[in-house]
Amino acid sequence: MPIRFDPKHGLIVYLTVGDPSLDATRAIALAAIDAGAAVIELGVPFSDPLADGPVIQRAMERAVARGVRLADVLQMAREIRAERPAAGLVIFSYLNPILRYGLKRFADDAAAAGVDGVLATDMIVEEAGEYLAELARAGLAPIFLAAPTSPDDRLEAIATHSKGFVYAISRTGITGTQQTLTSNAAALVARIRRWTGPQGQGLPVAVGFGISNAEHVAQVAEFADAAVVGSAIVELIERATSQNGAETAPAAVARFIKGLRLPQAALAR
Amino acid sequence: MVRDFQRIISIEMKQQILEKEGRLPSAVIACVGGGSNAIGAFYEFIQDRQVRLIGVEAGGRGTELGEHAARFKGGAPGVLQGTFSYVLQDADGQIALTHSVSAGLDYASIGPEHAALHDSGRAEYVSQDDAAALGAVVKLARTEGILPALESAHAVAEALRLAPTLPAREILVVNLSGRGDKDMGILARELKL
Repeated sequence: MPIRFDPKHGLIVYLTVGDPSLDATRAIALAAIDAGAAVIELGVPFSDPLADGPVIQRAMERAVARGVRLADVLQMAREIRAERPAAGLVIFSYLNPILRYGLKRFADDAAAAGVDGVLATDMIVEEAGEYLAELARAGLAPIFLAAPTSPDDRLEAIATHSKGFVYAISRTGITGTQQTLTSNAAALVARIRRWTGPQGQGLPVAVGFGISNAEHVAQVAEFADAAVVGSAIVELIERATSQNGAETAPAAVARFIKGLRLPQAALAR
Repeated sequence: MVRDFQRIISIEMKQQILEKEGRLPSAVIACVGGGSNAIGAFYEFIQDRQVRLIGVEAGGRGTELGEHAARFKGGAPGVLQGTFSYVLQDADGQIALTHSVSAGLDYASIGPEHAALHDSGRAEYVSQDDAAALGAVVKLARTEGILPALESAHAVAEALRLAPTLPAREILVVNLSGRGDKDMGILARELKL
């Protein structure tokens, strides 16, 4: 399974597939991988993205309006996998499109496309019996979200049922950028590690929601194995597309990602 | 939790109908959007198998997806906002737009306890369209001096349809879940008042 993070440099990039177009998403994903993203989260467009802030909502609306479906996302995974065998690929979806596609069919098709893991935002671990069984049968890693408000018994269930990595939400609320990271994130990761093992060993823990610059990424690297950058990149794609055309988005994203991974010393202002 | 609070409706219904009539009603009729007033109106009667429980969904202005909010007629099992129930959706699992003249019934999913009552057959779910609901508002206002909410008017419309098919001694209880004062703007527009 290619979900592996470099020590201190783990970076996960979220993309809403099909925004601004399927061709653009493919090119952006390849550029992001080449710029150093260890894992690409391929976001399935959904009409009611209740965990997402305005930036990703807008991207979802555009992609839904273009008619991008779960089947297109799986096809995109297959194409990216063919080009970049070592990259981590995660399907990031709300549950309903997966249920409608059929859980078993989804697991089979995702595995055949070369997907490594699945993160279904609104699949809670307590209700996940059949879901976990199908993913396990297909050899896919289930990734669950852990929140600062999750009690210990839920964190234990989330940590023990997740494979690939655990996704720790840096704060309560919806996705979107923020100025400063809260201390909640470090505290949450420390709690999760009671079940996943110490940093660098055991199951990796990634931190997402609100991570938008190199300073945040460097802060996260102090206590977590990877940082997830979503809204900041989706917004960058939106801006590049509207100002300079979709064909400029891959290079813009690559530049941004290289900037995120600058060594900490270079951040001194 | 919603059901536990709303069940006061059926507790009082039962008390009052037994006081007044000395027997249980033949049917309890309530409109169903998310389903809170209906589950409250049904709950204490679920054990009384002889009482029909009838939920009335919004038939809107047509049968195409996007034209109505009749989840049991046009929906399929799915997850919306963390709840597994019947959901109006397209073939790819995108949640459908809905339409009803009443905002309170205009929702793509339905409380999951209604899905269970539907699947077990204990409750029946029907729909009444915008025109029938508007007609029921006028009828109830003119005959009883009661201005029902457009949501509740769907239940009144079903009672108006059902009553003539039943023997005169049968009792129908209709849950008037809200007042129509809030709907005056819509009523004025729709009825050209």
